[in-house]
Amino acid sequence: MKTAACLWFDAELGAYLEGENKPFVASHAQECPFCQVVLADLEQLCSLARQLAPAEPSPAVWANLHAVLEEEGMFRRKLGAWDWFRQLQFPQHPAPIGALICLMVLGSLLTLPPVSLERRGTPESASPSKAAVVSLASPSENSALALAIRDMETSYRAGAKFLTPEIKATYEKGLNSLDASIRECTDSLQQQPDNTLAHEYLLTAYTRKAEVLASALEYEGR
Amino acid sequence: MSPQKTAAVKAASETQLIARAQQGDEGAFAALFEAHKRRVYSLCLRMTGNTAEAEDLTQEVFLQLFRKISTFRGESAFSTWLHRLAINVVLMHLRKKGLQQVSLDEVDTSQDEPVKRDYGDEDRRLMGSIDRISLSRAIAELPPGYRTVFVLHDIEGYEHNEIAEIMNCSVGNSKSQLHKARMKLREGLRQDRNKAASGASVPAEQAVDER
Repeated sequence: MKTAACLWFDAELGAYLEGENKPFVASHAQECPFCQVVLADLEQLCSLARQLAPAEPSPAVWANLHAVLEEEGMFRRKLGAWDWFRQLQFPQHPAPIGALICLMVLGSLLTLPPVSLERRGTPESASPSKAAVVSLASPSENSALALAIRDMETSYRAGAKFLTPEIKATYEKGLNSLDASIRECTDSLQQQPDNTLAHEYLLTAYTRKAEVLASALEYEGR
Repeated sequence: MSPQKTAAVKAASETQLIARAQQGDEGAFAALFEAHKRRVYSLCLRMTGNTAEAEDLTQEVFLQLFRKISTFRGESAFSTWLHRLAINVVLMHLRKKGLQQVSLDEVDTSQDEPVKRDYGDEDRRLMGSIDRISLSRAIAELPPGYRTVFVLHDIEGYEHNEIAEIMNCSVGNSKSQLHKARMKLREGLRQDRNKAASGASVPAEQAVDER
């Protein structure tokens, strides 16, 4: 037979299970075996509910999801070491691309054979142009090429913090490798100023470094 | 590593994953899915009681997530953001099915039968006679309104003020519906247990004194 105490127990049971301070619930449960059963059942129920393990969806869920995302073009292909070059969009970023083109034109011009009449026919005529080329590509702080590269690198370093760690690490790896090549070539040229092969490699390294920096600047600008 | 440090490292890793996913990194998408798929799927499964529907809804949740991930600014925890999205997707689905899920305040409880309290001997406790499978089955059989609040509170761990915001009802209503849901579950589990006992040719139980 339900007593008034049982009715009061019913009224406070929900709040008691929510953690509210309802001492009557616990005390009545100790006196009434029927209400004690109800309390024990609900406590067990709550405990078991918290232990329900998360279920696992079938592999088809990811397969379908992946297919839709790919179709929508949500995935960006992970950039390889030299994939940046293909990302260059010339019309949209004229400044770094223009600098790159100027460097390449300059390099091409400097490698042309001399055309001056005063120099024709004399063995010594090759030396001044060679010297000019070497001095241009020299590690001197005042060389135009080095200054241009340095400016681009300064701009890159200023904006590198906005790159994700993975992208930045890839660029840094490429630049470090090119810097090592540049150091090697300049060391060779200091010992052998007439080393045309070292000069060619140096110019190539500078050009490639300019390309990498141009790509990094374009990526930072996104 | 202390638990706090582990949590901090985990949070930092997830932040990096989210940043990569915002840039379209396919691996980051996959990692985020792997990290959260179980909880999202479980929520969908408990709310719908149907594995096929739950898988469709899980797929929809993550589709919406990845489409909107660029808008995530980190004001709340990513898991909270994802879970709210999952709940909204499920509720929208249930509304489309014509089930009363919009607001617990709208549920007409005037015709509800008084929640039965079966009394009998003390050994009629449920303790020891229910397992996770029978509980899962009983949850799936709950009326939608009760099922929603029970799943959100007792399984997913939402507080009543959060449930009230999600379900567009009052905190008091959420608490009341939860208590009724638990009593309804208890009743269902006891009936299942009694049926199972009858099927096993156990001597018929004495008449229960319904109070």
